[in-house]
Amino acid sequence: MSHHCLEIISSNGHASIQDLGRLNAQHLGFSAGGAADEFAFLNANSLIATEQNLDDKTPPQSHCAAIEITLGQIAFKAHAACTIAITGADCQAKINDLLIDNWQCHNLKAGDVLDFSLPKTGLHSYIAVLGGFTCQVSQQPWLGSFSQTKNELALGFTGAALTVGSKLYFPLAAQALFKSTPLVITPSNKAPTQPRLFYASHKLTLRFIASKLFLQMSLAQQQAFLTTEYVISPDSNRMGYRLKVKQQASSTAKQKILSEPLRKQCLLSMPVVYGMIQLPANEQPIVLMKERQTMGGYPVLGTVMQTDLFRLSQMRPGQQVSFTVISHQQAQQQLRAFYQKLHYWAGS
Amino acid sequence: MSDSKYQSKNTAAFTIEVVAENALLLSWPAQISLSQHNEIMSLQTRLKQQLSEIIIETVASYHCLMLYFSHQSVTSKQVIEDIRRVANHQYHQLNCQTHSVESIKIPVYYDTEQQWDLAEVARRCQLSIDQVIKQHSDNIYHGFALGFTPGFCYLASLPTSLHLPRKSAPRIKVPKGAVAIAEQQSAIYPSESPGGWHIIGQTPLPMYESRNGQFKATINVGQNVQFYAISKAEFITLQQGLA
Repeated sequence: MSHHCLEIISSNGHASIQDLGRLNAQHLGFSAGGAADEFAFLNANSLIATEQNLDDKTPPQSHCAAIEITLGQIAFKAHAACTIAITGADCQAKINDLLIDNWQCHNLKAGDVLDFSLPKTGLHSYIAVLGGFTCQVSQQPWLGSFSQTKNELALGFTGAALTVGSKLYFPLAAQALFKSTPLVITPSNKAPTQPRLFYASHKLTLRFIASKLFLQMSLAQQQAFLTTEYVISPDSNRMGYRLKVKQQASSTAKQKILSEPLRKQCLLSMPVVYGMIQLPANEQPIVLMKERQTMGGYPVLGTVMQTDLFRLSQMRPGQQVSFTVISHQQAQQQLRAFYQKLHYWAGS
Repeated sequence: MSDSKYQSKNTAAFTIEVVAENALLLSWPAQISLSQHNEIMSLQTRLKQQLSEIIIETVASYHCLMLYFSHQSVTSKQVIEDIRRVANHQYHQLNCQTHSVESIKIPVYYDTEQQWDLAEVARRCQLSIDQVIKQHSDNIYHGFALGFTPGFCYLASLPTSLHLPRKSAPRIKVPKGAVAIAEQQSAIYPSESPGGWHIIGQTPLPMYESRNGQFKATINVGQNVQFYAISKAEFITLQQGLA
């Protein structure tokens, strides 16, 4: 069984095992974690499910763990045949030096080398397999998930950080999916949704649900926040995206977005959620991402809707974002439609 | 915004706010108060029991309760109505609640040898080292929130005489079991991690145990905690015994 794996043979970037995260372990202090870009992650699993004609019931392929590669630059050797799906940032992936298509299923034979280059745009790429990858033989999920959270790896519950020599195991069933004839590219094994339409080309307007605090701010303060153009800062990561003001127009006085009396209301730490926009005293916002800690002490202006967070997770330092308000009903509608399209039903 | 207020005679008002597609935030006045926190804990227990079908996760802190709900099967409006119903019901039964007053006892080797912060804390608080130890260990603490890192429980309130702001630059490595203080709080670092609190001692007691894929924190939110001083020899013996 142990030879059913992909082995990392070279790595110059970052890779980890990711699924949809630990959805009910935050009360213990565990980060929710999970795939940075659920659009690419779910598409990868959906490609596998479609290929296998799975009705995606038990166990749902949408919940299976994939390999998340950040900024490419990694190569794997297949120790057994299997069918994989690759999605996300386009790393000009090759099988034995032959370029293959992104957002597609591919067959690997034992001995094949799968190589990812540095992507021109985007950050995260995904490799999915039937039944999912684990980094240990017969590994059990930890608190409902295989996701590897950087700050929690040392606790030893989710295996070691992926590096050269790491083996990513897949179930025997994944091999059964492999057919000796090459996969014919038909609409059925193409990505069901158009990635090009989903992602932002260069600039992203983040739609957010306003917090009680935001609604207490003066109209001028709200406008100051909504009209500011931000740039993603280099110290952004899977925990949080740090933003800095693109340029301070010399004519406008440096008016604070958040007044001192309002800031003083927010001294006690409180639970935080995915997408919350924190505003520390330096007024450079932080958008909380998948590997956020469970508590936060900074004032919160609102929460970016999740489908925009998936888009944001693929954006790089230097790219621009701004904010606009959306109702929670609209955000909920968008997320529901998003999951329906990707045949994913939480808790099913 | 679905912002609604719930008020009753005996309990403080809390607001319900839809903070995300799948999350609601219940907020009480921003204060560290034992009675308010007991009320939050009590409501949390009831919501978990009575709305287990729709509530996926609940996270409590000093003055907040975050609720995650299965947003694909219910609307936030429905969940808010359900919360109100449960909260109203709780109000009538509030007096039936009994709270455990038993404290968890944490042995601490209050250490000056390893150049942690005990001597510095004593100097800044204008107390002797023995006074710091006595004041820290005479007090009964309450677990207000779990977070920061798995098993890290925020304990309050520290005696006023020991209040100090966080260190200006956090340490890169705080040892496992470090007993630390900051502002009006005390806590124990469950594992080696960076940290900005003042370390005054170390406990040999593990802050969590994990078995069969389950995680159990030693100190849970809502529990009472008391520290007691042990010698270096006792620390070593206990550490070996517990290893």
